[in-house]
Amino acid sequence: MPEALIQALINGVIAGTILAVPALGFTAIFAVLNYPNFAIGALATVGAYAGWVGNTAFGLPMAAALPVAFVAAALAGLAVQWMAVKPLEAAGALMMAIASLAAGLVLENMLRFGFGNELRGFDLPLLRDWRFGAFRVGPQQVENFVLALACMALLWAFLRFSRTGRAMRAVADNRDLALLRGVDPVRVAAVTVAVGAGLAGMGGMLVGLDTSVDPLVGTRLVLSIFAAAVLGGLGSIPGAVAGAIAIGVAEEVAVLAFNPAYRLVVGFVAILAVLTLRPAGLFGTRAG
Amino acid sequence: MTALAVEELTGGYAAADHVVKGVSLGVAPGELLCVIGPNGAGKSTVLKLLTGLLRPRAGRVALDGRDVTGLSPRRMIEAGLVLVPQERNVFGTLTVEENLAMGCFLDPRRARARMAVVTDRFPLLAERRRQAARSLSGGQRQILAMGQALMSEPRVLLLDEPTAGLSPKAAADLFALVRSTAASGVAVLMVEQNALQAMEVSDRALVLVDGRNAHEGPAPALARDPEIRRLFLGGRGAGSMDASGTGRETQR
Repeated sequence: MPEALIQALINGVIAGTILAVPALGFTAIFAVLNYPNFAIGALATVGAYAGWVGNTAFGLPMAAALPVAFVAAALAGLAVQWMAVKPLEAAGALMMAIASLAAGLVLENMLRFGFGNELRGFDLPLLRDWRFGAFRVGPQQVENFVLALACMALLWAFLRFSRTGRAMRAVADNRDLALLRGVDPVRVAAVTVAVGAGLAGMGGMLVGLDTSVDPLVGTRLVLSIFAAAVLGGLGSIPGAVAGAIAIGVAEEVAVLAFNPAYRLVVGFVAILAVLTLRPAGLFGTRAG
Repeated sequence: MTALAVEELTGGYAAADHVVKGVSLGVAPGELLCVIGPNGAGKSTVLKLLTGLLRPRAGRVALDGRDVTGLSPRRMIEAGLVLVPQERNVFGTLTVEENLAMGCFLDPRRARARMAVVTDRFPLLAERRRQAARSLSGGQRQILAMGQALMSEPRVLLLDEPTAGLSPKAAADLFALVRSTAASGVAVLMVEQNALQAMEVSDRALVLVDGRNAHEGPAPALARDPEIRRLFLGGRGAGSMDASGTGRETQR
């Protein structure tokens, strides 16, 4: 049993780190635009398919296919924002969230129309798992883990050192003051949506690498992404990472005790627990 | 020449579009003008109209003789006018250094040089440069807010109640900084509730009542004026302004 638990912890940390990538995109959009973008699942699916096309049709290696996933999802995210969400901006956050949900369904079905319902696999070499005593780790799992860490490091560097990243953080912190310092909120909103959706796309591709690609690959993630962001504190960048790892571990550990069909319950329980006990999340909102 | 010249400025919000009803004022380089008045007199609304956060319905705003009426906040910064708001005037999750850099957002090439000037002027900001702004005390935050505003080297600095919520000692220190900022050649317009202290450090004062100019003149003379003391200081000459609207009633 301890071995199984440790194995679940290892798998959970890896799964959580991958989940953190789209969760960061979700929370960044929430922090700057103040609404939950539920198209994030469909955007992850767009990224998964774009990466899959890049890999299988053009022979791109994973590290080169990830930027393709980013760009495709970023463009789709901008289209969702400008065609579905922005027209309802004046109606408030709830309407914007519903619009994003609807746009996500449209995107998902466009992908279904184009690619069909079959499961698609990346062109990957078959490799044996690495064994460390009683524990096993797949080389692909490790590569995905490293790629997820690289995505997060790049995001951190962008937010920390670039002028646009600093403007995003400023708008998330205090929109009115940012306006008074000359920040263009429309441009910052566009960059945030592109970066957030792009992260979702890369997250979708990483999940697709771990499993397979189908029209629901991202949609299945939405609850976990939302739970991770809520757990960490909506709008908090470090919170999204901590929340995603916690959700990843909890989902893996839950499988030890319950039927895997109940894995999704973890997300619901996390959201309920946070909203009841600590509504601002572990890191509080807008923790920077 | 006045750095900031405002003529018959009129405007307000969507729900109340005539909060400011023809305010006129002027501030010369190196001068400190304080604007006082009861709550609801339109003091903060004047600042929002000047910075482009609200669009004037009528009137004219000129910076160094150039008409800038109705320009966006971004264009106002480029023209040389910067506001320090009353509340939430720093980015709490950003470090002191990042806050200062945001003050030079439109001209990042000058950020390094300006940061050296500003931290030289406010050494506290150099000591705390890696600290998150939210961890600073109220007085330190006001200094950071001033430093951030001065990063763009404005010709005109607008301050909205800079001493609100500060201890008497911190308020006195901040007034001294405002005074020295004006002495460096910046035209400073300061809206204040702390009327007596504000007039003590200012060159001139303008009293707004019900969105209009009510009294104007050299600050020391106005501070001694029995009518002003009776209207806004309860005739005792101490403490902050009575915000109950006494002035408005007396005006009628």
